[in-house]
Amino acid sequence: MVFPIIMAFLVIILLEVPGLVSKKMWRELTAFAALLIIGMALSITHTLGVMIPNPNKYIEILFKPLVEWLSK
Amino acid sequence: MLEEGRISGGQALMLNITMIIATTLISAPTIVANHARQDAWLAMLLATLLALPIAWITAKLGTLFPTKTLVEYTEDILGKWPGKLLSLLYLLWFINICSVMIREYGNFIVDAFMMETPLMIVNILGTALAAYTVKKGLEVLARVNQIFLPLIIVSILLVFLLALPEMKLERFLPVFEAHWVDIFRGAMAPLTWMGEISTFAMLIPFLVQPGQARHTTVITILLVGLFFTLLVVASVATFGPIIDNMIYPVLSTTRVVNIAQFIERPEPLIMAIWITGGLLKISIFYYVIVLGCAQWLTLKDYRPLVLPVGVILVALSSIVARNILELVHFIAYVWPPYALLTFEFGIPLTLLVIALVRKQGGNGP
Repeated sequence: MVFPIIMAFLVIILLEVPGLVSKKMWRELTAFAALLIIGMALSITHTLGVMIPNPNKYIEILFKPLVEWLSK
Repeated sequence: MLEEGRISGGQALMLNITMIIATTLISAPTIVANHARQDAWLAMLLATLLALPIAWITAKLGTLFPTKTLVEYTEDILGKWPGKLLSLLYLLWFINICSVMIREYGNFIVDAFMMETPLMIVNILGTALAAYTVKKGLEVLARVNQIFLPLIIVSILLVFLLALPEMKLERFLPVFEAHWVDIFRGAMAPLTWMGEISTFAMLIPFLVQPGQARHTTVITILLVGLFFTLLVVASVATFGPIIDNMIYPVLSTTRVVNIAQFIERPEPLIMAIWITGGLLKISIFYYVIVLGCAQWLTLKDYRPLVLPVGVILVALSSIVARNILELVHFIAYVWPPYALLTFEFGIPLTLLVIALVRKQGGNGP
């Protein structure tokens, strides 16, 4: 399952990077790379079955008393 | 400015309506009826009333800073670094909503119509289409929405018209059976959906006349409140308070349609409404995230960020919940206190108070 994901990332890089390099938009390129690496890390680890902490669970813990009042 | 496109007041109104109703309309009656039972319509009216201050605050902040989006004016109000931090939290919040929305969108299609398709395929295709819309910019998004929103509204009214023979007004009796606290609790979830109007703060500077924001938000809330009330009335009239056990009551309403044993089960209409509405809503939030990220990082163009953000959204849409029940639990019980206390009402109110006290903004207090 990891192979198609990596292919998809290659396609995304090929679509965006040449244009950014030719226009010398380095700041945009850095932002693009940073976001893509986050996305890559999330999707590949999730596909490999690594448990990624669910942000919604932490939000629920944060608002625990109100959640309980509402779901009673 | 990052976005060259401009939208008219009417287009903004329609974008706002889509932003609120599109993914909530299918499951709305259930979550409200959970607490308020057959008095769900009262809860809806209460929610509409309570959502008006949120709309007013959003518009007021927007008109104080008519050339800036939410991500930009937090810096003006709070100073550079606290403002940056708050904007980052807002962006994370938008990413959170959008991933939950993509999951809701995909889950409905897989649960109700395409049971053998993997969820991720639906999510990826949906996000890819939304990415294309976002790349085309705000004007295109607004115009596409202008074409599809009337079709969505007409289809849903048509479904209820067809189900009219099955509806019985006795199902609303006894009125006021629910305790007022339960009605209030039932109003919380729809209030937070209507509170999504606070996202409009990211679009106000792109209005041809930002001053129109005040009417736009208030009219949006009133129309959406009317629409939701109609939705709840129709669902309760068809099934009675048992709708609190259904996950998709509006879909169930279409399943009982039977006119002269000839017109039956117009479910494809619901699927069409869901796909167009869902995609438009995802596109709006997706656009807001990408534009916000670009403004936060002070980039010259937001388009390069569209695809990487899409990847993050798809990955998160799978992470945010293990199954539909967990998702419904989050939307019905966790989402209301979370969104209301912080990003929809609490923080905008604080920002407005600070801005007014420090006499900031173009128009003055």
